[in-house]
Order: sequence, then C-alpha cells, then structure tokens
Amino acid sequence: MCLALPMQILAIDAGVATIAAEGLEQRASLTLVPEARVGDHVLVHAGYAISVLSDDEATETLALLAELAAAAEEEADAGAGPA
Amino acid sequence: MQAPVPPSLLRRLAAELAAEARPGLTFMEVCGTHTMAIARAGLRELLPPGLRLVSGPGCPVCVTAMADLDRVIALARMSEITLITFGDLVRVPASRSSLAAERAAGADVRVVYSPHDAVEIAAAEPAREVVFAGVGFETTAPTVAAALMEARQRGLVNFSVLSLHKTMPRPLRALLDLGETPISGFILPGHVSVITGSDCYEFLAREYGVGGVVAGFESHDVLLALLMLVRQREPAIEIEYTRAVRREGNIVAQRLLEHVFEPCAADWRGLGVIAGSGLRLRPEFAGADAAVRFPVEPGPPLEPAGCRCGEVLRGVIDPSDCALFGRRCTPQDPVGACMVSSEGACAARFRYRRLDD
Repeated sequence: MCLALPMQILAIDAGVATIAAEGLEQRASLTLVPEARVGDHVLVHAGYAISVLSDDEATETLALLAELAAAAEEEADAGAGPA
Repeated sequence: MQAPVPPSLLRRLAAELAAEARPGLTFMEVCGTHTMAIARAGLRELLPPGLRLVSGPGCPVCVTAMADLDRVIALARMSEITLITFGDLVRVPASRSSLAAERAAGADVRVVYSPHDAVEIAAAEPAREVVFAGVGFETTAPTVAAALMEARQRGLVNFSVLSLHKTMPRPLRALLDLGETPISGFILPGHVSVITGSDCYEFLAREYGVGGVVAGFESHDVLLALLMLVRQREPAIEIEYTRAVRREGNIVAQRLLEHVFEPCAADWRGLGVIAGSGLRLRPEFAGADAAVRFPVEPGPPLEPAGCRCGEVLRGVIDPSDCALFGRRCTPQDPVGACMVSSEGACAARFRYRRLDD
C-alpha cells in the first residue's frame, strides 16, 4: 500500500510530470515535490511524486555497501564464494 | 540512481549478519511493503538461525478496525454515493459484508490508483456524491490531502473524504508498552519516512532503548538495515534508505497534511484505540468530510471466529501459528484482513510459502 516506484521525469506541464519507468509513460502530480525538475528521478506513490531521489554517492550507506561489494568481489575472484 | 546489486553482495551481507548477530535477536519490520519484499525475495532463508524477523502493524488495510470497515460498507449502501477507494480495501471482510459483496449487489463501488482519479470522477459526474474512503499512513494521507485541495479549488461540492488514515509512531510505542514480543530493533518504514523523516522515531531509542533503521525495499536494503541494527553499539535511529529519506522528511507534504488533517484517536485491529494515532479532517473542511456529511450507525462490529489477525499484527504469533492459516483462510477465500491485502503478513507468507511448509 505504501508502494512507491522510482521514475524519471521527462517533461513538466503546470505541476504535472510526464514520467517514465520501464518504458511506460505516466503522469504524476508534483504538488508534494515542487522542487522536482526534468531529468530528476522521483518516487511516485498513488499518482503523486513524494521524493526526489538523491544521486549523492557520498552517503554513509553507499560507502558501507561499496565496502561490502568490494569484499564480495574479492571473495568471488578468490573462488571462495559458491557459484 | 544505483546500479543493480549483484547476488554475491547479498551473500556477503548475509555472511556479515551471521558473523556479527548475537543469538536471540528479534527485529520487527513495521511496513507491509517490507513484509511483501522480504517474503518475495525469501530473505528469511538468508538470515542466521538466531535472528528472528517478525511483521508488525504496517499494512494499512490490515489494521483498519472492523467498526471502520462497517462504516465504509454503510456509506457504499447509500444510493446517492459513489464509494471510491484503493483496491486492497474492496475484498476485506467487514462484520456482515465486504465492498466486493456490496458491489455485486449493485452498490456503486469503484477502485482507483490515485486519489486524483476520484476528483476527476466527481467532476465528470456532478449528480453523484463521490466519497473517497482514505486508508493508509503518512505516505498516502498527503496525496489525499492534495486531492481534497484540488477538489476544493475546482469547486467540486460533491467530493468528500472518509478519513481512516493512521500515523506510524504511536502504535510502535503501544507495542513496546504491551511488551508481549521482545523487540530488539525496528526496520522502520521507508516510504512513510519519506514524508515524516526519521526524527519522529527518536523516542524509540531514547525512551525504550530500542534502535531502528529506516530501510528501502530492495533485498540489499533490508539486509543492510539488519546489519546496521546488529552493529549498533547504542540504540539509535539511522537511515539506510538515504537515496529517498531525509531526517527532516518532506516538509511540503507535512505542511499540506497538517493543513487538511488533525490528529485524532484511531481504532487499530489488534491494538485497539490509540490516542492521537489517526488523522481526521480539520473542522474547516467539514464540507468535504464524509464522516460529517453522511453520519452512519452500522451496528456493533463482529470479528470472524478463530481469526488471529490481531496477534499477527502485534508480532505475537507467526501467521502459520493460526489454525485457519492456509486451511479455512486463503487469499482466494480470506477470513481475516491479513490474508486479503497482498501486503498482509498472512497473504505474503502464504503466497511465498516453501513447499515443505
């Protein structure tokens, strides 16, 4: 019910965005994220964009994930992990 | 945007969890969308044996009290009303009927994807009283507030809202106060927190010594949130879902929410009435408040015999502990609300059950 999907804004007309996700075009209201711009990725819930997704790679979460991914890769290269 | 996460990373996350989790930890995922994501990806299979993951009161349809469902049914039965809602609500059994049964008997019940669609119906059919039955948490309530403001701006006097909206922090307090399930930490809802931010959960760590991590909905999000919980030296509220959630939340949505709604007591299936945990329309929106415009007295609510949804929603029992689960109660022929909504703990468990279960 709280499902929200990331979609990219293709165009904006009077506070309504044309958005694309997996090849489908839809419309979503930008009432709740007036700062959204064409090209932004937004989370869309029930026809309304609710968040502009950040592409800031410098967050702690992504740093932790990158560290684990590097470890996972090393493991795979060493042939330690299951295929 | 992030690149897809390789399976080797999921295995690595699971291995880190296994290495670092002390036995006897129970984490609760509060959001129904997490419940569904965890079941679909089979994440329980990846967890170390001593780490238990239980579902909480986070499926909006599931926590809607029988008395409130009965009010929705009573509205749908009024000949002048077109009752509009989200799909999940239609099949939920109320005391003596369901919206699906009422629709089959001739009631004008329609399902929309967006509250905005209900406004368009009100504009297209001015002779009908269009009532939007609003269920959902802080994620959904601002979209209903936006639709209501739009209807008002367009002068649509035939659009009204029955608000059954609820807010998330207080039921978590209620669960911890009950103390039935030992909860070591919470996986906090991702899309509720997009709106609310994470500061509203600080009391969990401060007053109860229970940490929480706001998580996204991919498999790696959930596993990483669990790892963050396991690694907490002191109980704290953290955000894993940093690509979407900011500590302060969505201020525009919060302002709109507060403009249209005010807190009220709300009745939760499994938890009872919790003060300040619901949202009702402010008095200045009485003209668009279906509770004011169409008062109904549906009679005393009746709970289905043997249904243990209440205990499932409090994380006290596993869905499979209920004698009705998978026997008398299935997604095709549900007895309880948790088996109806795709996000209900029972429906998610049934749909993705292992063949040897």
